[in-house]
Amino acid sequence: MVPYETAAAAPPIPIGNPPASSSSSSSTTIIPKPPEIDGLLAGAGYKVRSSDLRHVAQRLERLETAMLNSPSQQLSLLASDAVLYNPSDLSTWVDSLLSELNQSQSLPSLPSDLSDLMSNPTALDGSWMDQQLPPPTAAVHNQQPPQLTVVTAVEEDSGIRLVHMLMTCAEYVQRGELALAGSLIQDMQSLLTRVNTGCGIGKVAGYFIDALGRRVFAAGGGGGVPGGSAYENEILYHHFYEACPYLKFAHFTANQAILEAFDGHDCVHVVDFNLMHGLQWPALIQALALRPGGPPLLRLTGIGPPSPDGRDSLREIGLRLAELARSVNVRFAFRGVAAARLEDVKPWMLQVNPKEAVAVNSIMQLHKLLGPGSPGDPARPAPIDAVLGWIRSLNPKIMTVVEQESNHNQPAFLDRFTESLYYYSTMFDSLDACALQPEKALAEMYIQREICNVVSCEGSARLERHEPLANWRERLTRAGFRPLHLGSNAFKQASMLLTLFSAEGYCVEENEGCLTLGWHSRPLIAASAWHAVAETAAGAVSDVPVVGGVVL
Amino acid sequence: MPAASRNSIGGGRGFGINDDVDILTEVLKRLDGRSVCVAACVCRQWSSIARKDSVWEELCFRHVSPGVRPVVVALGGYKRLYMVCVRPLLKRMTLARPDEVQLSLSLFCVHYYETLAGSGPPSSLMFLCNPVNV
Repeated sequence: MVPYETAAAAPPIPIGNPPASSSSSSSTTIIPKPPEIDGLLAGAGYKVRSSDLRHVAQRLERLETAMLNSPSQQLSLLASDAVLYNPSDLSTWVDSLLSELNQSQSLPSLPSDLSDLMSNPTALDGSWMDQQLPPPTAAVHNQQPPQLTVVTAVEEDSGIRLVHMLMTCAEYVQRGELALAGSLIQDMQSLLTRVNTGCGIGKVAGYFIDALGRRVFAAGGGGGVPGGSAYENEILYHHFYEACPYLKFAHFTANQAILEAFDGHDCVHVVDFNLMHGLQWPALIQALALRPGGPPLLRLTGIGPPSPDGRDSLREIGLRLAELARSVNVRFAFRGVAAARLEDVKPWMLQVNPKEAVAVNSIMQLHKLLGPGSPGDPARPAPIDAVLGWIRSLNPKIMTVVEQESNHNQPAFLDRFTESLYYYSTMFDSLDACALQPEKALAEMYIQREICNVVSCEGSARLERHEPLANWRERLTRAGFRPLHLGSNAFKQASMLLTLFSAEGYCVEENEGCLTLGWHSRPLIAASAWHAVAETAAGAVSDVPVVGGVVL
Repeated sequence: MPAASRNSIGGGRGFGINDDVDILTEVLKRLDGRSVCVAACVCRQWSSIARKDSVWEELCFRHVSPGVRPVVVALGGYKRLYMVCVRPLLKRMTLARPDEVQLSLSLFCVHYYETLAGSGPPSSLMFLCNPVNV
């Protein structure tokens, strides 16, 4: 053992240097502990500044090499003659030991700066890890060490710093200080190289930094969404459908509600606000085929964007669905309505027959109508009100609405940014549980487009104006709709569906007759059902509450 | 039992399991999926019986109304339903309840719909193949 005399005084108070970035001056920054001593090592009795951790790691490695290489007399000299002070100040202690050894040996000089640290984020207990690193880009060295220890606490620290920097940058953007925001973005991009962007906070931060960059550096107002053709969007949507349960939950819950609403009707008409590949409808067709009393005549009107290259993609989907319906003996008719935006659709295009029972199905479409709409004519109603108005005029038996459960439509940019950072972090966490590739990567691209739209677009370009269930309840009630409670069948089905997904974190919750699917108690998507309320001749509104398909 | 006395029971020729296809079918119907597949490797006769959809119908839904049959047949048959849907689902649920049956049929229907697209193997049920986190 090395004898030492501990200094009687208290351990030296580190001169905590705040990080050089401007985040320390912002009101939103919270530094975890007042002096920046690494908490994990402090638990073991060592006081090391967080900023010194990398330096200490290198020095300890060198010390180990030196001790292994030094002749035994050297070590015994070190054991008996060296006087060292205060071993809890690990940094100084190691340096003094090294200098003792240095006097009689020439050590290989290590590169002083390691700019390409890659650390494994799973070992977040602060343990030292050996890793093969890419050769550091720093200065001259005559002998390269075969292995270098890497500190994972640095990783955790960088993650927290990234979040703080993101918030600060968003605040600059809100205040209009784009130059400051721009330089902060560059700082964040360099910090990203030291963080694992394969998963966790690094990945989400990467997407948000990218979106902020588009907003700040784009010429003119608002950066565009990357790519964006309808065909690409369909493919990404399909992979999002496969990689995580959100869309499946939406489809199955809506189908169950529609099935219950169609009970007893022989002519039914479903209006789908976003047909895509029509993946929602095979299950409904099959359920209608098996319902007691036989299947009704089913008409499906699918709305979708026009296809640019002359293919009639809506018609192709319709033909496929018709073939399926024919095999299970369900009388089926399809109609496609091509419209670039939902507000361009007029009710006469849907050709609704007054004798049939109508279901309107909107999976994550209504929020796109919350934008400013076409300017100029103040007398025209807002797009959402116009659309809700004509939906009501169709007198649907049921309207199923599935929306993202978050508020990304607040007037202040910082609020939107903060809320979307938490929302999409949770969503990416849930996606991490998915093991399917390439589905997972393409699903991430799908989410990335949403992020870009929320963060970097404004005005009529910003379509992803998500609002929480409470807002939709209020809005739909004002427009003359009353809630239809999703029955226990829908809840059971959703729970069963989730047991099929291997990740354990998903949870289905019931919220006043609506169902939400979330990750670890944070709801991410909300499904609800509504019906239009008939107005009597006297102008009063008659209200028939329906629970689980039974009229009370 | 010595072979001689076996032949004398029943007044003559003994009964071999391969003599009556219907009885053999009834026996195989009561096995689980893996055993049926093993049985299919025994001989040509057993193999042809093991391929009968009625055997797989029993396997899939032992207590379900026959009204489901035309739909299942239209979507590809019971054996396919078992391989694609029921077998992965059985790892997580018993499929004894009608709502569980209904769910498996719905998933099967989506799968069939994807095969109609013809562009590559259907992938909507890939998530069922993931090992369950215990």
